[in-house]
Amino acid sequence: MISALLCLWLFAQTQSADPPLPPEAVALVRAAIDAENRQDEDSAIAAFRKASELAPDSALVLFRLGAAYMKKGRYAEALPPLRHAAEINPDPAIHQSLGFALLAQGYSKEAIPHLEKAHQYGALGIALLQSGQPAEAVANFQVALAKNPNDPDLLFYLSKSSTALASQSLDKLLSLAPDSARAHQALGQHYFSLKMFPEARKEYQRALAIRPDLPGLRLELGQVFAATSQWEQAEEQFRGEAAMQPGDAEAAYRLGDALLQQGKMKEAAGELQRSNELAPDMPETLYALGKSLTVSDPQSAARAFQRITELEKATPLAAQAYLALAGIHRKLGQTDLAARDMERFRQIKSSMP
Amino acid sequence: MPLKGVDFTLRNSPTPKKYLIETMPGGVALLDYNNDGLLDIFLVNAGRVLNPMTWPPDFARRDPRYWNRLYRQNKDGTFTDVTEQAGLGKAGDTNYGMGVAVGDYDNDGFPDIYVTNFGKNILYHNNGDGTFTDVTDKAGVAAGGWSTSAGFFDFDNDSRLDLFVTRYLDWTPANSKTCGAEKPTYCPPGEFPAVSSILYHNRGDGTFEDVSVASGIAAKKGHGLGVAFADYDGDGFTDIFVANDVTNQFLFHNNGNGTFTECALDVGAALTSDGKMLSGMGVVFQDYDNDGLPDLLITQLPHQPYVVFHNEGQGGFTAQELETGFGALSGTVSGWGVGLEDFTNDGWKDAFVVQGHVFDNVEIYDSSLQYREPPLLAMNDHGHFKRGNAGSSVPLAGRGAAFGDLRNSGWMDVVATSLGDPPQFFRNRGGQSHWLGITLRGTKSNRDGFGARVLVNGQVRFATAAGSYLSSNDKRLHFGLGSAGQANIEIVWPSGIHQVLQNVNANQFISIVEAQQP
Repeated sequence: MISALLCLWLFAQTQSADPPLPPEAVALVRAAIDAENRQDEDSAIAAFRKASELAPDSALVLFRLGAAYMKKGRYAEALPPLRHAAEINPDPAIHQSLGFALLAQGYSKEAIPHLEKAHQYGALGIALLQSGQPAEAVANFQVALAKNPNDPDLLFYLSKSSTALASQSLDKLLSLAPDSARAHQALGQHYFSLKMFPEARKEYQRALAIRPDLPGLRLELGQVFAATSQWEQAEEQFRGEAAMQPGDAEAAYRLGDALLQQGKMKEAAGELQRSNELAPDMPETLYALGKSLTVSDPQSAARAFQRITELEKATPLAAQAYLALAGIHRKLGQTDLAARDMERFRQIKSSMP
Repeated sequence: MPLKGVDFTLRNSPTPKKYLIETMPGGVALLDYNNDGLLDIFLVNAGRVLNPMTWPPDFARRDPRYWNRLYRQNKDGTFTDVTEQAGLGKAGDTNYGMGVAVGDYDNDGFPDIYVTNFGKNILYHNNGDGTFTDVTDKAGVAAGGWSTSAGFFDFDNDSRLDLFVTRYLDWTPANSKTCGAEKPTYCPPGEFPAVSSILYHNRGDGTFEDVSVASGIAAKKGHGLGVAFADYDGDGFTDIFVANDVTNQFLFHNNGNGTFTECALDVGAALTSDGKMLSGMGVVFQDYDNDGLPDLLITQLPHQPYVVFHNEGQGGFTAQELETGFGALSGTVSGWGVGLEDFTNDGWKDAFVVQGHVFDNVEIYDSSLQYREPPLLAMNDHGHFKRGNAGSSVPLAGRGAAFGDLRNSGWMDVVATSLGDPPQFFRNRGGQSHWLGITLRGTKSNRDGFGARVLVNGQVRFATAAGSYLSSNDKRLHFGLGSAGQANIEIVWPSGIHQVLQNVNANQFISIVEAQQP
């Protein structure tokens, strides 16, 4: 990120008024610029340094000297001339390079005011994040992304600062209200992400004991049980969530899947059909629906699997749907269709890494 | 519960090197080796593993602690170790024991024993006088590499039992590796080259011919662990199912001309219903829903339900692990030895699975899993399975399992192996329902009658001692009759002879000799 911005900056010029330079200094600056044009950075640095000795209060010379150091990655040596230049001249370009030089060496807090003055939102976001201000970092990354929405560095840092912000918010929640339902829920999510399922289960159960009315708690607790294949307990939680939120397609899907895993096909099909009506054409729901109907109603199951192949084209789920279709067609004696399904299954599988 | 007189311990000798062989043994066979009407027990031991392992290896099978063992059942239900007098002691210092298959390959009326190893396999001919002779070299069935489950069956219906040997993978100490980041553990099979299984054709003169290539068996390489036989498409020839570990499952269709065609993917028996590969361990090939067609039940690792491939007829299968209830029964467990037997004599075959994870340190990788697990008894309620009481909640590092009526009570029992432990005996508590035990005696067919399709009061069993994991079952066919006091029996022998017995009284063991003509 920093190097990318530096490349842009190196061609920038200060527009500020500067005291006239002695002729020897002018000659040295010209020699330095010539050296830069020849990619001879060491000679450029030497010439700028001599010019700065002749004109110690020229912001332009100091700025160019600092810039030359930065181009060589010699950030520590760039700092003194840039600091002095910034004292002399408030030009944003000087603050920008000073901010970058500071940031490059880890002086994030010191870099912040300079980057603010330079309106360098991306670099400012990094400095803020590194200074423990993720919320402010997020805001600056969003501004920067408005200009460059596909910049991978900016997207990376936005993600990183959002995670840090979430962690900070969680710390605050746990600190201010450690026994609240939300605190236990947050801990449950944390343990679940670490696959520490017994710990996650306990936290969700504590949350539910405090706030049984909170939507989502049972859904998440159910998923803990599902992750450990405790389908009966998962069903109980998903059933509770579905009763609380009858319009929630995911709750219906999860309940249907838990029933499916237990072989309760008829009831599973009902819930999965309901989920499909609430949120039509969700491939996972259609797949589970197809599985639940394969034995009892192969024609309807085939329609569900067929729909997945239309929606998903060549994904792993589409491959699974073709395999399931092959089984149904084979069972129905439609061997040509089964062979075609298997061919598509093989094609998709072979195209996967 | 312990078996009185059985002082065996399955010594797998785990090392910090996590040599893969350490976690895979060992088999158990239930057989009546002396034809006294009582089931005896043969247990395969593993061996000592040095750290690091030398090459060639020395598994110290000369040491009696590492011997395979034969226990003769006495009339009072106790057992006597007859290993040494039977000539079954030393099993070769370079052989690390795996599994066992039993069959009367020379039709002399006495069951012979084939032991699989990492190393060379051994065929013990039963001399009929309580002793056995190692005839491996003469018979030409030593195989080599890493053999796992094996089974006798008659693939060409010539009345002589042939031999199928499943092999796991190409492993040696030289290419051994450990997996896992901070805590080493056993590597998955995909880390090692796949290998093919072996088919030996019985020439009838005490020797076998390796027909793996000619039959098409060698054309498919996998990570075979379990094997089971049945004629799934009713064409009169016994087919072979190989449970592969993280490879497509293999169903070798018997073409009836000495060749086989692997067709599992095309008939719907290669992958889970979600199109994923199974980590297939044990397998049983019997009819669980009484529709007369043999189905498949395959055990595998956690987070993948045990898979049921339901035979739909017309040569096709559908994966029905969820419909049958195994989704709820097998989510966090690892299954090995498996059987479909009617433990309640209600006319429906129940499932029994011996369980335990592959990794002896799995808890550090996944806190929801355990290395030692209690067995699963799943009761069959008209094709849907529900958890039953296996009689013990003691967790085991379960591996092999053999099924049979150990006490001739009419109720099926289980003998299971557990790594580092004595064998476990699951004694059936019995009940009131009726039963029938059938011993087949082939005349035109192989003497054991393996491959026969036996229909009793609407239930079908396919005669075999193979199935499960590394193990060999009581060859007698057990049928629960519920409240029926009599049974109608219909047998289709491998010879093609169709034999019917009507109104046979329940609650007895009967021997049926193959009729000379249909």
